[in-house]
Amino acid sequence: MSAPQRGFWDSLAPGARRAFFGLVLAAVCFLFAFPVLWLMLTSLRPESGVYYVHKGLEFTLDSYKQIFSDERLVNAFINSGAIATLATFFSLLVTVSSGYMLSRFRGRIASTWFGVIYAMRCVPYITWVLPLYFVVQSYGVYDTYIGLLLPHIAVHICFFSWLMKGFFDGIDPSMEHAALIDGCTRWGAFYRVALPSAIPAISALTVLCWLFTWNEFLFAQILTGRNTPVITVVMSQFVSEMGLQWNLMSATAILALVPAFVLTLFGQKYVIQGLKI
Amino acid sequence: MSWRNALRNSFGEQQRFMLLLIAPAVTLLVLFQAVPIFIGGSASFRDWMLTNPKKTWVGLAQYISVLTDPAFLEIVLPNTFLFMFASVTISLAFGMALALALNRPFRAQKVVQTILLLPLMVAPVIAAIMMRWMFNDQFGIVNVVLETLGGEPRAWLVDRWSAFAIIVLTDCWLWIPWFALLLLAGLQSLPKSPFEAAAIDGTTPWRVFRHLTVPMLRPVIIVCIVIRSIDAFRTFDIVWALTGGGPARQTELFSIYAYETAFVFLDFGKGSAAAITGGLIILVVGLLLYRILDHVRKVSL
Repeated sequence: MSAPQRGFWDSLAPGARRAFFGLVLAAVCFLFAFPVLWLMLTSLRPESGVYYVHKGLEFTLDSYKQIFSDERLVNAFINSGAIATLATFFSLLVTVSSGYMLSRFRGRIASTWFGVIYAMRCVPYITWVLPLYFVVQSYGVYDTYIGLLLPHIAVHICFFSWLMKGFFDGIDPSMEHAALIDGCTRWGAFYRVALPSAIPAISALTVLCWLFTWNEFLFAQILTGRNTPVITVVMSQFVSEMGLQWNLMSATAILALVPAFVLTLFGQKYVIQGLKI
Repeated sequence: MSWRNALRNSFGEQQRFMLLLIAPAVTLLVLFQAVPIFIGGSASFRDWMLTNPKKTWVGLAQYISVLTDPAFLEIVLPNTFLFMFASVTISLAFGMALALALNRPFRAQKVVQTILLLPLMVAPVIAAIMMRWMFNDQFGIVNVVLETLGGEPRAWLVDRWSAFAIIVLTDCWLWIPWFALLLLAGLQSLPKSPFEAAAIDGTTPWRVFRHLTVPMLRPVIIVCIVIRSIDAFRTFDIVWALTGGGPARQTELFSIYAYETAFVFLDFGKGSAAAITGGLIILVVGLLLYRILDHVRKVSL
């Protein structure tokens, strides 16, 4: 199979080879970017032009204006942003200490906790998401910030603790021992010495955790109702409610993409690092 | 504060520090993971209708009703496995091709890499809506292009298999870049010397790929396949936003089935039993995949 292809490839001049390679890559990039570009184009068309996006040249920002005047949508954006930010902050706070503990200490407590995390990590997500509805309702926090925030923090505990343990394992503890001898408290050794050296890893997780929470759907679908709309749920309801207003739909989707896009662009280095985990 | 004294007496200073470090994580894990698991497990053995919560203990009846439901056996399970297989193989193949293409320096590399990051930030729900618009039967761009090329426009999401193909396509769009970037990272961390030796010997690119790249990259490939398969198995959002499991519940995957049983048909007992059945299948599949792929590695090395 490979021989004729190689013959074709070898018969090309180096310049042609480069051009061919470039062309294929350009086509791939186009295919990956096209859906998003198409969405952007649709969002800029007036309501009448949306059915023939490929024809005509009228563009308008009306759809975006309409979104910003829709209270439910604005609320959804604010809620999604607030929950993603708070969930990221608290997830990292909770798991950085738990990971530190797993990395630095041995003994009964550490091994039990590690066992619990490992077992919980193996329990498939879907088996505890459905009952979460009753749990959150019985705690009296259904359809509130707290009710969505706390499960979002909980969902990351096992995986992130495990990752954080790995990060701290890679950091030499002798500096902390030195700090302890110099009269630093255990807490001081943790957040003055160990924490700063884990910052690159923590940044990677920050970006990934924020993106994950911003994009999450199933939790929000089950745990929120009318009072706490978040953007992914509102958009999925859009499809049935406003099935024909594709310009509004697209504009909302583009607006939902912007924060993630900006964050990824600035955190690209960390995201790629984080993906390697 | 007697519990405090008790704590102080039974644990040393270091133990107290350890417990304090994990206390918030333990609390949240118990409240929002252990308790739901317990409730779900208990619900799966009960007749628990959301409209009429008598919660009578019925033993294994709910599991039996799930496992004898023709919709579950003939549509949901085959769909789920087919989806997992198709999505993972296609994404792996294309991801690998892209990673190999990107694994040599060229001018626009940074740009290509940034474009590949694009699908990774798109929420699955948004990706699904995007595809739904592009494959819209009346105004979608796909039908417009088809018509200009002389083809027949189709109602893509009305037919079971074309709807299923679009779900797979959406998933691939979302995940090919993930495979590509992970495999690229793997490729870049491989030692250079075996490849240089192969180049001196004049080995064909295919042989280099087959006998050098793949075996050396195998750990990364295994991790990718296992993680992605487990995730693909429980896919919910793209199906929900693309087809809602339709037409006529023909494209349901197992998490949609569990969700619908619990929250649309309000049978929480059966829904929980379905979720747990699926959960057990994921565990077994994950373990088997890991074993098989690991075995392949040992044999072929």
